[in-house]
Amino acid sequence: MAVFKRGYQRYDGPLTGPVTRFLAVPRFVWPKILGQRFVVILLVLSLFWPLMCAGFVYVSNHADLLPSLGSGGDDGIRKMLAIDGKFFAIFMNVQSTFAILLAAIAGPGLIAPDLANNALPLYFARPLSRWTYIGARMMVLFGILSLVTLIPGLFVFGMQASLASTAWLQANWFLGQGIVLGFLLYIVMVSLIALTCSAYVKWRVVAGALVLAFFFVLAGASQIINQVLRVEWGSLLNPGYAIYTVWCALLGVEATDDAPGAWDCFTVLLLMLGALLAVLLRKLRPVEVVS
Amino acid sequence: MNPVIAVDNLRVRLGKREILKGISCRLGASGVGKAIGLLGPNGAGKSTLIQTLLGFHKPSAGSAQILGFDCHHQSLDVKTRIGYMPENDSLIADMTAVAFLRLMGELSGLPAAAALEKAHETLFHVGLGEARYRNVGTYSLGMKQMAKLAQAIIHGPELVILDEPTNGLDPAARQRMLVLIKEMKEQHGMNVLLCSHLLHDVEQVCDEVVILKDGQIVHQCDLVAERQANKRFVQLQVSGDDRNLAAALREIGAEGVSESAGTWRIVLPVEIEVNALWRISARENLRITKLAYRRDTLEEIFLKAVGHLQPLPQPEVAHGRI
Repeated sequence: MAVFKRGYQRYDGPLTGPVTRFLAVPRFVWPKILGQRFVVILLVLSLFWPLMCAGFVYVSNHADLLPSLGSGGDDGIRKMLAIDGKFFAIFMNVQSTFAILLAAIAGPGLIAPDLANNALPLYFARPLSRWTYIGARMMVLFGILSLVTLIPGLFVFGMQASLASTAWLQANWFLGQGIVLGFLLYIVMVSLIALTCSAYVKWRVVAGALVLAFFFVLAGASQIINQVLRVEWGSLLNPGYAIYTVWCALLGVEATDDAPGAWDCFTVLLLMLGALLAVLLRKLRPVEVVS
Repeated sequence: MNPVIAVDNLRVRLGKREILKGISCRLGASGVGKAIGLLGPNGAGKSTLIQTLLGFHKPSAGSAQILGFDCHHQSLDVKTRIGYMPENDSLIADMTAVAFLRLMGELSGLPAAAALEKAHETLFHVGLGEARYRNVGTYSLGMKQMAKLAQAIIHGPELVILDEPTNGLDPAARQRMLVLIKEMKEQHGMNVLLCSHLLHDVEQVCDEVVILKDGQIVHQCDLVAERQANKRFVQLQVSGDDRNLAAALREIGAEGVSESAGTWRIVLPVEIEVNALWRISARENLRITKLAYRRDTLEEIFLKAVGHLQPLPQPEVAHGRI
């Protein structure tokens, strides 16, 4: 029977579980984000570097072809073509730039409209807690940012693992683990920054700019502290530096002696995430209580 | 029969102010479609009570239960069983009505296919069928109210909490909204908690009424019982010096209060005939200019409860569940 003839009937069927309800939010938001022209352009651009890296991986695993091309087959070239932690650290560093740009474009539209339209009571009057709401919004960014970070990273690692010998994989499995953990930490950080900016700034462009400014301003501030106080710990305030240091540790790349260590950076990042979460939770209330 | 809403010594403190000061009541009956009106002057605590029932505020003492589930500790269980229509504009503007309702349905636990089907069904039900593919942000105020109602009932909740549902509606739309609310309880067996300033609306659709003032329940009554009660309320208008009328009424066992100069409201016990009023008036040298039987309107109940009208003496027979 046609819907308009049937009339309203109360739903009395089975209800879905918490995971399905949680995933409903990203399912509705992803098509909207992927429909944005800038997002598509960025996604396409972000594929070039992984493709180049994939080409590099191929060449490095077929170095025996190089002498035939007349480039010589000495150890210097072989060392330069080595696929190691440094290679993946550079790969992650480049891809992280695209991730920030994507978060700056996609993030501001996630919470600000709900606040502007006073939609939060509608969410929180349903079986959805504040934590679940934040988790669902982060899931949106996780999906988008994974397309430029985790997925290409694992693709390049997987390609290297498949082309190289088993011995290489046994010796370098931690690189895969480092890529996953490093990018996960990075995605959580970038997502929280984007969501917090979205929660506090109504205008998308300004909120997007704020996401970028978060990294640049803190990087500048950390340099000022280092220069003025003649210290090294100021770098801890630079989220870009902190995350890169953690990545290097995860990928087994040696860090600079004087600079703050990976554990220090990791601790500061955790504190930063905690602070961002607290600020975000403070804003996300179903009703505003005026004291 | 289990109550839909059971509140026991509920106290809610927002900041340093105590908004709800030890409220206790049992409202509605589970499995029976009933509408409960929540009334009170501005700042009485109506919205805070609703928000506490929705789990938005933590009680500082006491408890609130909906359908047997604690609103604070079992809020997810509560929220799967209720629908909420907020007072203010509360929509996702850049979505079509179908997508909006579908999302709300899925968040309430409906499977994706059922949510889509119910979204269409509910939008037709509230009269937005033709506009269901328009963005909600482009809707008129009346349409937005209907969309808010639709999102509250898409999952067929047992209790629907409506906060000022007729706000900003023209008379025709208001009537349609009231009809829908009546249908919700009569045809679909939903319980409705209706918070409104429009007493006429509440009187039209509600079976029970709770009146809040300064964070306390000042009156609770069963409107159905009130309507059916055989109270003999008489409205009397007299000219002359009526200072001794109250005492004269008490002599014959009746009770009366003066509403304004020369206007009295009187409760006559069943055994006393109206003729007695004529006799008293003659004795007190009063000339009756008007005498009419009447019942308390909700407006009078409300005004009495909030202290804007002198209280009527309570008859011995208890009406409602005070």
